[in-house]
Amino acid sequence: MSPDENSAQLKPAEASTPALESPGLFPERGPQISKVTPEVARRSTRRAFLAFGTSAVAGLGVAASQLPPSTLERLGLTFWPHNQWLLNNALRFDDYVAEFLYSPNRLMPTYTKSQITALRNNYNGVTPDSGYIPMWRLTLDGLSSGLAASLDIRTFLARFQIHDQITRLVCVEGWSAIAWWSGLKFADLLQAYPPVPQAKWAFIESSVNLDPNGKPDPYYVSIDLLSARHPQTLLATHHNGQPLTVEHGAPLRLIAPMKLGLKNIKAITRITYVKDEPKDYWAKRDYSRYDGI
Amino acid sequence: MCGVIVSTPPCVRLVRKHHLLVRVSHWLNVLLLAGLIVSGISIYWASPIYQHGPDPPTGNADYFADAGVWLCAHVPGLHGYASPPDWLYNHFSLGPYMLAPAISLHWFSAYLFMLNGLVYVAGLCLGGEWRSLLPRASDGRGALVMVKYYLGAPFALLRCRKRVPPRFNSKYNPLQRLAYFSIPIAGFLSVVTGWAIHKPMQLSWLAALFGGFDKARVWHFWLMCLFITFVVPHVILVFSDGWDTVRSMITGWSTRSESEGQSHEP
Repeated sequence: MSPDENSAQLKPAEASTPALESPGLFPERGPQISKVTPEVARRSTRRAFLAFGTSAVAGLGVAASQLPPSTLERLGLTFWPHNQWLLNNALRFDDYVAEFLYSPNRLMPTYTKSQITALRNNYNGVTPDSGYIPMWRLTLDGLSSGLAASLDIRTFLARFQIHDQITRLVCVEGWSAIAWWSGLKFADLLQAYPPVPQAKWAFIESSVNLDPNGKPDPYYVSIDLLSARHPQTLLATHHNGQPLTVEHGAPLRLIAPMKLGLKNIKAITRITYVKDEPKDYWAKRDYSRYDGI
Repeated sequence: MCGVIVSTPPCVRLVRKHHLLVRVSHWLNVLLLAGLIVSGISIYWASPIYQHGPDPPTGNADYFADAGVWLCAHVPGLHGYASPPDWLYNHFSLGPYMLAPAISLHWFSAYLFMLNGLVYVAGLCLGGEWRSLLPRASDGRGALVMVKYYLGAPFALLRCRKRVPPRFNSKYNPLQRLAYFSIPIAGFLSVVTGWAIHKPMQLSWLAALFGGFDKARVWHFWLMCLFITFVVPHVILVFSDGWDTVRSMITGWSTRSESEGQSHEP
C-alpha cells in the first residue's frame, strides 16, 4: 500500500460550518490514503478480524476465569474454570510495590486533637468478657536469650516510655478513622527483649476473640520487623487518654499506621519472632500479606 | 498504484485511522475497565461513600442498596428477587461480600490499565494521532453544534426526516476531540487518585493533592461515573455511525474519504 501522491490535490470537504475551523498550534496531518485492490482490502480485513476475534475470545475466556465462582454461577457459567493464579500474583506483586514504597525514615501524617474522628470496632464477633484483663500477660518468644519472657501490663507501663500519637487507621474496606493512641514503641520492646538475630518477622497472636456464635476465634497477624521498628509503630495501651476498652483491644494492641487496619491486632497475648514469614489471618482469607499502605 | 495496469479491478481507497497500538489498547481497555468497574463497585459495597442514617428495620445505610430495593419493588419481573438490597451489586459488581476477590481483581486490572495507558500513548506518538486529539479554540462552539445535532437526531428519526450532519475538515469533530482528549486525562486521574487511596500513608502528599484520603475516594468514584457516561453514548454513536467506524478500530483504516464526509461519531 503506497501513500497516494494525489492526496494533496483532493478537494477538501465542503464544511457546512467553515467559521468553526481553526487548525490549532499543532495542526493534524492530512489523511494518509492508500489505494489498493478490493482483494488486498478484503485480505487485510480478514486478517484483522481473525486476530481481533481470536484475541477477544481468549481475552474474554481469561477474564471469566478470574471471576469468583459465585459470580460465575450468577452468570450461568458454572462450567467455566476458575483460576486464581493471575490474581494471586497480582496481589503478590502489589505487596512488593508496597514494600518498595516503605521507608523506615518516612513518618506517617499526624493530626491534631480537633481532627479526631469516631473510632469504630469493626470486629463482627462477640466482644469478649473483660474478665481476662487482670490475668492478662504477654508472652515473648523467639528471643536471642533463648528463653520466653512473660510480662504483665504493669511492667509495660512502668518499664517503657509512653508516647502519644494521633494517626489515621485505614481499613481495607475503605473507611478510616483518626485516633489518639498512647503506648510504647514496638522498637523499644525489641531493644529491651532482642529477638534472635536471624528473625525478620513478628508473629502476633490474640487468643481472647470470640466469633459471632461465641466460639473462640483466635486472631493472628504477621508483621515484618522493619515495619515493627518504625518510630510510629506502637504497642498501644491507651486510646483518647483512657486505658483501652475491650472493644479496642485492652490491654495492649498494635498500632502500625503504615499498615492496613487489619494488621493492627487487638488484645495481643503473644509475640513470636521468626525468620520465615508466618501465617496471617487475612492472608489465609485471600487478602494480601504485607498490607503496606 | 493499481491504476497503472488497465485490467486491474477497481481501487479501494483506504484512509489510515488508528495505529495498531491504539487499537490494541482500545480493546484491551474494554476488558480492563469492565474488570475495574465490577471490582470497584464490590469494593465500594464494603464501605459506601454515600450513606444515610441506618433504616430502622433493616439497618441499611447505603443508597445503592436502597436503589436495589426500589427497583425490585417497582420493576415488573423483579418482584420475587431474593435479596433486593443486593440487586445492584449482584448485577453491576462481583456481588456483595466479595471484598477479597474484588481487591485482587482490581489490582490486577489496575496494573494492566496503567501499562495499557503507556501502550496507548506510544500508539498515539508512533501514528502521529495525538495531533488529532488536541482541542482547538473553536471546539467549544463546534461541540455545541454537534450536541444540538445529536439531540435533534431522535426527533428527526421519528419524523422520518433526513438531516445532514455538520461537517468538519478534521479527523474528529469538535465534540469527539473534546471527549477523546479528556478521557485519557480522566484515565490518568483515576490512576493517580487510585494510588492516593491505595497508599494513603507512603503517598500521603498525593492524597493531600485531592483533599485527603476520604476526598480522594470521592474523586475516584466520580471518575468511574465519568467513564460510564462516556462509554454509553460512545457505544450508541459508534454503532449509529455505521460499520466503517466500527471496522476502523479493528482494521485501522476507513474507506470514507474526506470528500464523502468523514465519520463524526463515537
